[in-house]
Amino acid sequence: MVIGVAAVIVMVSMGRGAQKRILDMIHDMGTNLIVVNAGRVSLVGGRERQSAIVTTLRPGDAEAIQDHCASVAEVAPETSRKMNIQWESENLMTDVVGVTPAAFRVRNIEIETGRTFDSVENDTARRVVLVGSVIVEKLFDSEDPVGHQIRIGRAPFEVVGVMKAKGVDANGVDRDDRVLIPIKTAMRRLVRTTYIQKIHILVAKFEQLQHAETEIRELLRERHRLRDKPDDFTIQNQASLVQTERESARTLTLLVGSVAAVSLLVGGIGILAVMLTACRERRREIGLRRAIGARRRDIRTQFLLESLIIAGLGGFFGAVLGVLSTFLASTLGGWNAIVSWGATGAGLTLSAIIGLIFGIYPASKAAALEPIEALRSE
Amino acid sequence: MIKTKNIEKTYKKPSVTTPVLRGITLSIHRGEYVAIMGTSGSGKSTLMNILGCLDKPTSGQLELDGTDVYTLDDDALSALRNKKIGFVFQQFFLLERTTALENVLLPLIYADNYPADAKQRAKKALTNVGLEDRMEYLANELSGGQQQRVAIARALINDPDVILADEPTGNLDSGSTHEVLEIFSRLHQEGRTIIVVTHDRAVAEHAQRILELKEGQIIENTTSSKPENSGNH
Repeated sequence: MVIGVAAVIVMVSMGRGAQKRILDMIHDMGTNLIVVNAGRVSLVGGRERQSAIVTTLRPGDAEAIQDHCASVAEVAPETSRKMNIQWESENLMTDVVGVTPAAFRVRNIEIETGRTFDSVENDTARRVVLVGSVIVEKLFDSEDPVGHQIRIGRAPFEVVGVMKAKGVDANGVDRDDRVLIPIKTAMRRLVRTTYIQKIHILVAKFEQLQHAETEIRELLRERHRLRDKPDDFTIQNQASLVQTERESARTLTLLVGSVAAVSLLVGGIGILAVMLTACRERRREIGLRRAIGARRRDIRTQFLLESLIIAGLGGFFGAVLGVLSTFLASTLGGWNAIVSWGATGAGLTLSAIIGLIFGIYPASKAAALEPIEALRSE
Repeated sequence: MIKTKNIEKTYKKPSVTTPVLRGITLSIHRGEYVAIMGTSGSGKSTLMNILGCLDKPTSGQLELDGTDVYTLDDDALSALRNKKIGFVFQQFFLLERTTALENVLLPLIYADNYPADAKQRAKKALTNVGLEDRMEYLANELSGGQQQRVAIARALINDPDVILADEPTGNLDSGSTHEVLEIFSRLHQEGRTIIVVTHDRAVAEHAQRILELKEGQIIENTTSSKPENSGNH
């Protein structure tokens, strides 16, 4: 019963958190976004998993999309790798992401302090870096890092700006735990690859989203000479990203929901057992109460009230546990959960209803006892 | 006050039919102190339960204070027991982990109206049985004799027409037995109707009249000539 009610509250709270996150996501990504990933991206447990490294997606693809697809407004290729960064004696591993200046517009990245880098700095592969808020906190002890020199791998970079905090994305990646450098710097000086992992594409008009996706797919298939082979890339648009998020929220809701259902049922059966035992052990009390004037319905009411109280207590502790664990999940676990007072109320009501339903049979049994038989029993 | 006519009770099991009461006709008047005596198996407890409206006979009639009991439905029987009958059982039947006072108050919960002076009445009833300094004790903290006296106070709280006591001293030592019988005698002198079921002649001797039961029939109906019992009529 306790676990059931707690689960109901956690479930609804998480559901509301997920919903809010979907809205946030649409808000901070815009609805016109298409993402091309290298290789196949599959959903595992509602999260994206990229299979093996695929080397066929190249910067030239991004340029070609920009040049040949009429429906496309802006294109932002991206490559990233986990690397060690260092400032003075502090070290940490983070995502080093190479982007073009277009990414700031396409991906809605804003600057907290300092500046972005421009296309000249990208073309000349300058060693400039923008850092996320988590990096500022961990590496610089929350001091303003603009103007400082850090090392990425062994190469020195100048911090030119700090990005505004964005929080955790749909795949559970902390978007503040990363640094941005010009993509050409990344490819020539750091990762030394010719391929990229992602292209973010801003479509001019929302209505053209489907059309743009078809255009991009045809173009890439042609450029990659795929003929009758399957795609070596994955195209996702806003709708499919939201789908990802829904998927994970649904998985969670289903899981917690079934835990709730099972434990409420178990709780109900527990109450049934406790009340039937009470009915058996307290036959003489029932007999006495009947002898001194209790009517059948008085006995029934008494037993129903008792099972209601047991269920209510269970529900109350469940509510406390649920609110507490929702709170913990959102503060410590990084889950997006909003305590739902409606669900808390519903959980309490639900446990009361279960108390009543599973109390009816024992209460009727107690009420049906003949006073004389009840008194005679040992 | 209490009249029965040809009460019969048989317990039927698939194979055997056991007659327990075979045609009991009796009448007990207001203010009488009656003992129903008999060995175990004589049917005295069954008779007591029938008189207390806890059990129904196979046939026969019971009239209580002018009411034909077997025309009443279950709820009305509960109300009747609540108002007119005070029970005292051999096993006391107090609620454990409940104070003496609350045990005495119990019948009032099931009365039509919970009286405003319920507490005063309960305290008075407990004082009446000599337990004024044990009111807040839990039932299981009291001795057997004290528990039985709480049960008597509980039987008195609704000011019943008749007190039915089923082997009230069966679980008590001789000192407590004496106390309980003393209380019954006093209540009788105050004008209450008391019916005591017992197998013990010494207990029965305290009553005004003894009905002796054997194999489901009244075989003897003797009126005692004890001087202290004759004063009220």
